[in-house]
Amino acid sequence: MTMLTTGYNLNLWIRFISENSLKLMAARRSAVSKYLILPAVVAVLVVGLVPFLVLINYSVQTPYAEQNVFVAFNNFRKIVSEPRFIDALRRNIIFSATVLSIEIPLGLLLAFLLYEKSKVNAVISTFIIIPALVPPISIGLLWRLLIRTAGPLGQLAALMNLGYDPFKIPSHAYWTIVLMDMWHWTSLITIVTSAGLAGMDRTPVLSARTEGATRWQIFRHVELPAISFPLVFVSLIRLIDSLKIYDEVIILTGGGPGLTNEYISQYLKTIAIDQWIIGIGAAGSLIYNFIVLMLCYLLLIVMTRGRGLI
Amino acid sequence: MMKVSVKTLIRYAFLIGAAVVFAFPLYYLIAVSLSSKPHIETGSLIPDMFTKNWNDVISGFGGIGGSGITNSLIISASSVVVSLILGIPAAYAISRHKFMANKHLFFWFLTNRMTPPACLILPYLVMWRAIGIWDTLYGLVMAYMVFNVPISVWLLASFMASIPREIDEAAFIDGYSLARYFRKIFLPLCLPGIGVTSFFVWIYTWSEMFIASIISSVHSKPLTAQLMISLGRVGWGVEYGIASAAGVLTMIPGIALLYWARAYLAKGFTFGRI
Repeated sequence: MTMLTTGYNLNLWIRFISENSLKLMAARRSAVSKYLILPAVVAVLVVGLVPFLVLINYSVQTPYAEQNVFVAFNNFRKIVSEPRFIDALRRNIIFSATVLSIEIPLGLLLAFLLYEKSKVNAVISTFIIIPALVPPISIGLLWRLLIRTAGPLGQLAALMNLGYDPFKIPSHAYWTIVLMDMWHWTSLITIVTSAGLAGMDRTPVLSARTEGATRWQIFRHVELPAISFPLVFVSLIRLIDSLKIYDEVIILTGGGPGLTNEYISQYLKTIAIDQWIIGIGAAGSLIYNFIVLMLCYLLLIVMTRGRGLI
Repeated sequence: MMKVSVKTLIRYAFLIGAAVVFAFPLYYLIAVSLSSKPHIETGSLIPDMFTKNWNDVISGFGGIGGSGITNSLIISASSVVVSLILGIPAAYAISRHKFMANKHLFFWFLTNRMTPPACLILPYLVMWRAIGIWDTLYGLVMAYMVFNVPISVWLLASFMASIPREIDEAAFIDGYSLARYFRKIFLPLCLPGIGVTSFFVWIYTWSEMFIASIISSVHSKPLTAQLMISLGRVGWGVEYGIASAAGVLTMIPGIALLYWARAYLAKGFTFGRI
């Protein structure tokens, strides 16, 4: 206490206390900031989680004599034995496999062709991404205009005598949808892998070239491993998105001819909304969402392997 | 030397071919929007400059456009504002507290972003009717939060992670309150991130049709859902001219902001992970 009486030590104490209280306040401010996440979490809980509780609730009930009765897993049993559901699911998986196996190589090829920095390449790479930024429904409209009998592609097919008629022949409709999806989304693979290529260290490529490696060897053993993360990532995003295809198909052929191009989203909308069989519709939605959830989990594994999230 | 030039020639032919493949359909849509009905039936590539389609879309005649354009604008703008209000604080918390940037939280947000709209239409229809926001603009903005909030949180967090924490600490020690620090220092620093996030939220909201077609009816149909209804019937009686004008309208935001956003597209499409 006697120390405090001297002016010098008093100043020291004041400085000590004030500095520490400022540090304490600063620490408190940064501690408080972690609660800033709460509004977003609450919002996503309300619009993201509650709907699933509603779905689960409906999926175990069925209306009977003006009342909802608990039927456990009966709705699930019904939906998996419904041929239209299984067909739509299988068709959607085949469709996804088709478009991915075309779009990934094509998108990669475009990324390599556009690799060199030049004005032409910049313009082209900006141009090819337009379809990914406009509403899918407008893409559907655009393609319907192109393929109708009087449209440019319809006329071209007539000129070449192909017997092309997507409104009558299922396989023609299918390949038209594949072509439309390629037009719509190939550029997404291109821009994401381009970003990977741009961030890549070129030294190994140059040394491989000096060693006399062929173009394919360089691609296979140097470039592909370097861009594997963006490539796998964007492919999984494309896979999930292609499982959700709805807008373009409904406009192009309405899922037709007949039901031959009905994909999973369209079937679920028909049964849950149009026919209002909500128990079975909810069960189907849960199965569908479970598949997407598994793919998201795969995406997460890819993403967190050997790297942090931020 | 000859070999190289042939290679370059093929290269450029391919690239120009790609540009034509992407440019021609867009031109054709504009051409159809400027053609009269009989002219569209002939399949001509040159429009006959029939501007009534555009008048109809602007005035909402024939069920496409008019209030749909206003609705789309209001819904998209509100979605951007809501996503930023919820997203900026949350992204700040994630980027500043490492324990939050973990995979559980990320996975949960990711699954919400990736949820198929087909799984959400039934619960939304029931819930929105129950709480009385079915067929209102509020209902649409709220429904889209399920996609927009996760995108904005993770996209913003990826931008904020590059702003050093030392700036926060220095500001707090200088006595800045959290609110003042945000306003004066932090938000100006992450302005590009806010811009990119707004762009992507706008594009996703503006483009959405599936959920909108279920939870809106008379008062709040956006342009995309109107387009869907007018084209829903395959076959005769479709007003391709008016629909194309509406289609061109729906493409304007994406194309208009493309040049500005081009450097951030890979980031935006991958939640800021690339």
